[in-house]
Amino acid sequence: MAFYADKDYTVDETVLMAAQKVMEGNLGLHWYNAKTERIAGRPSDSKRGLTYQDLNVGSYGYTDIPEDVRTSQSMVSRGSEKVGKLPDMGYVVNRKSDVWSDNVAELYEEVKARRWVPATDIPWTELHTKPLPHDLEMACAQLYTFLQECQIVSMDFPSKWVALINQDFLELKSWMCAQMLDASRLFEVFRKRALFGGAGLGRASATAEQGLKEWLWADQFPQGSVSINLTLAGFLLTLYRQVGAFAPTNVDRKIMRYAMQDAARQTAYGLGQLRYHLNHRPLEANAIEGYLDHTEHALLGLIGSPELLEPMIIICGGGLEKAQVDKGRIATAKFVRLAVKEYMERIAAAGLTGHAKRSKIPAMIDRISAAA
Amino acid sequence: MAISFPSTEYFEALKAQMAANEEKFRRLGFIDTTFGVSVGVNGKARNFVLEFEVFDLKNVSEVPSIDLKKVDFQIEGDTRVWREMIENIRRNGEADSSHDINTLAHFGEQLKIVYDDPDGHDKLYRFMESIQEFFDLSSKLEVSFN
Amino acid sequence: MAYLSTTDFTQDKDFIDKWLYTIRTGEMDLSWMKSATEKISPEEANPRRGLTYRDLNVGTYGYTDIPEKVRNNRSYAPRGAEIPEGVPDAQPWVSRKSELWAFNTESYYEEAVSRQWNATTDIPWDRLDGVELPEVTGKALSQLMTFLTEVEMIATDTPAMWLPRLNPDFIEVRAFIAAQAMDEARHAEVFRKRALTTGWGLMQASPINEMALKHLRDADSFSEMSVALHLVAEGNVLTLFRFSEYLSPTDVDKKIFRLVMQDEARHVGYGMQHFKYVLEHFPEKREVLHAHLDEAENISFAGAAATELTEAFIILAGGGLKKENIEQGIKVTTQFNLKQMQEHFERLDKCGMPERRERSKLYKMYEMGRAAAENAGIKLN
Ligand SMILES: [Fe+2]
Ligand SMILES: [Fe+2]
Repeated sequence: MAFYADKDYTVDETVLMAAQKVMEGNLGLHWYNAKTERIAGRPSDSKRGLTYQDLNVGSYGYTDIPEDVRTSQSMVSRGSEKVGKLPDMGYVVNRKSDVWSDNVAELYEEVKARRWVPATDIPWTELHTKPLPHDLEMACAQLYTFLQECQIVSMDFPSKWVALINQDFLELKSWMCAQMLDASRLFEVFRKRALFGGAGLGRASATAEQGLKEWLWADQFPQGSVSINLTLAGFLLTLYRQVGAFAPTNVDRKIMRYAMQDAARQTAYGLGQLRYHLNHRPLEANAIEGYLDHTEHALLGLIGSPELLEPMIIICGGGLEKAQVDKGRIATAKFVRLAVKEYMERIAAAGLTGHAKRSKIPAMIDRISAAA
Repeated sequence: MAISFPSTEYFEALKAQMAANEEKFRRLGFIDTTFGVSVGVNGKARNFVLEFEVFDLKNVSEVPSIDLKKVDFQIEGDTRVWREMIENIRRNGEADSSHDINTLAHFGEQLKIVYDDPDGHDKLYRFMESIQEFFDLSSKLEVSFN
Repeated sequence: MAYLSTTDFTQDKDFIDKWLYTIRTGEMDLSWMKSATEKISPEEANPRRGLTYRDLNVGTYGYTDIPEKVRNNRSYAPRGAEIPEGVPDAQPWVSRKSELWAFNTESYYEEAVSRQWNATTDIPWDRLDGVELPEVTGKALSQLMTFLTEVEMIATDTPAMWLPRLNPDFIEVRAFIAAQAMDEARHAEVFRKRALTTGWGLMQASPINEMALKHLRDADSFSEMSVALHLVAEGNVLTLFRFSEYLSPTDVDKKIFRLVMQDEARHVGYGMQHFKYVLEHFPEKREVLHAHLDEAENISFAGAAATELTEAFIILAGGGLKKENIEQGIKVTTQFNLKQMQEHFERLDKCGMPERRERSKLYKMYEMGRAAAENAGIKLN
């Protein structure tokens, strides 16, 4: 894979001469009259600061990025003057409608503004002053083990794609970097919660991981994005809300409140991206429908994994007594229904209005509800 | 003097508290959402629209009805639920685990979230910490219920 | 390229029936409760620092005991969890600890999370109102910023593309790399934003530097990538930021360079600690890294031809285009160039590669440059 410079510069006289000439005070200033747009950007709202939206102007803006980016393959920052022989970085995602979403700049600004710190923003010591009963703590440890698996995959998705995406989509690539840190922070908080609670970690889930890998390894970005950014993140958003609502400790409630913010941002991108993709490429609707038909079974693999289902029942019911388990299984069935309802709403809002009818998932969920 | 709930004055008082606690809300980050609050009183509803921008509540208005296409989402519930929430906040300094917005609204059994676009709905969660802290400022107010 | 799960869950009757049964009866299997995992009682070493990864460096969950070759986990399971039959292979490329580990990795990550800043709100952009830089300074500043946007772009893509190739057991390194990607995205942002506030906008791309940057991205192993990126390139950039802070035409620029410097110092810190680690734990790698440094240093030579950068730097350093400005600018730029090389070799010494000086053509160049500078009365401390 290594890339080597086109020659051995240590013996290249032209380089030495060029450098020497300048260092003798003979400046060529070939860059001085760069053919670029002049701009003196300022914040439109000083309280908010200088945002990417403020700089969405002319050749520097993102609105005018064409659908097909054909003339940039290097690392030139959009709007700079391209000169000389620039390297080809081998980007394979060069169509705006494959990655763009109208809320990209907004989400990037939001993610920075709403950052948080697991080490210090969570009142960890409360876990030790008010420890949970053993079974409940074990259930928490298992749930947080499962959530770490989901975050490893959430971290891998943007990092897997970002270097393959054309640099002209720089706000989007920046947002993807923020997604990596978000996923890392969630992984961190879930791990810390599990281990600080004293019960250690539980068991990884083969069923969940099989599904997650299928989503992560989708061979095109829009497909992988709908799976990871919309389906998985949306599902986790509902899950965080559920655990937040049934939180066994204040620590868990606080964690879930931060987690839902991060998951909701990711979902907003997932929905926005699918919407943009379908708006600009209506012929792809069939392909995405086909992809969903083929892969959304993994959502069942995730929700139905005993490594998630069982601790959820215990956490939502508060323990392993019969009455608690009854409360827990009913709450969990409601959660499953809610997660799928919201998933279908988002898919429809993105443009696939008929999807819920053709999908196999809702019928399955009806069976779950009936069982409860 | 006590501020009555529901009323524009109540939200204006929270707005003033939010401005007074600017540092805290700055730390929580941008909050860019407009949402509705609907309080059921004797079979009728009083409706408010809250417009948040950057770190502040920019505007509050009472409206005859809320157009869901013009807000991101709406939180609706009977005055009894709102009252219980506000009194709980007052007692604890912040909502306890059974009275935070997420818990009350989760299955739509006490408070209910209604929306036109799921993208708008998700903004409730994108800004949850700020929205919760905003309602928690009720702890600093004397509120009366008619 | 797509992977297919070993089961289509809509068709998996056993799986669905078990799910329905659990929900209907509340009877659970609970075998996960008997997971063969360790129970630990970690404490916060310093409550003001909160709960850190270092506090969790205990037993099978810790990082100290990660073996040199990770053989037991290739899935998405978090380190220390019980790994059942049937988990998929995450296809990691790097499962050898010394290929990527650094002393103190965990604290670099914690620091990154706690020291995130925001280019939108933490820079006093308003103070640029009424600031009218002379054309030559404004353009030179814009040209410097243009170059930096190119640099930072590669600094996001390079660590990011390695992240999913790292065995999931290397939690703390993956976390550090994710934080670095975000740091670099913020750098690309702040330099772009600054260029677009000067009144001139972005200027001209730098082909020779872009070639150099491509070399950083396309390395054969993580360790080689790290030595070229974290140690050589970011080391050079750190020196550049320090000089740029010193030369900043406004206090807005000073603030920008101070903030990016913090992040960059962290990246270089990781790079040094990794380099030390790999030399100590994987001695066979030393020759490979020398060979990669030969290439990285070749690229550093090539950089001398990027006159669009040198000239902008001379102008900023001298404050203009008059003869006396240029003279002063050349003096500072000479100091800067020598300082970059000097610090490069100091870092390598410190990490355990003092013999580099013997082998390196760049070092010979440095010695000649230094002697010439001293003859010209330019001092380097
Ligand atoms: Fe950087
Ligand atoms: Fe860096």
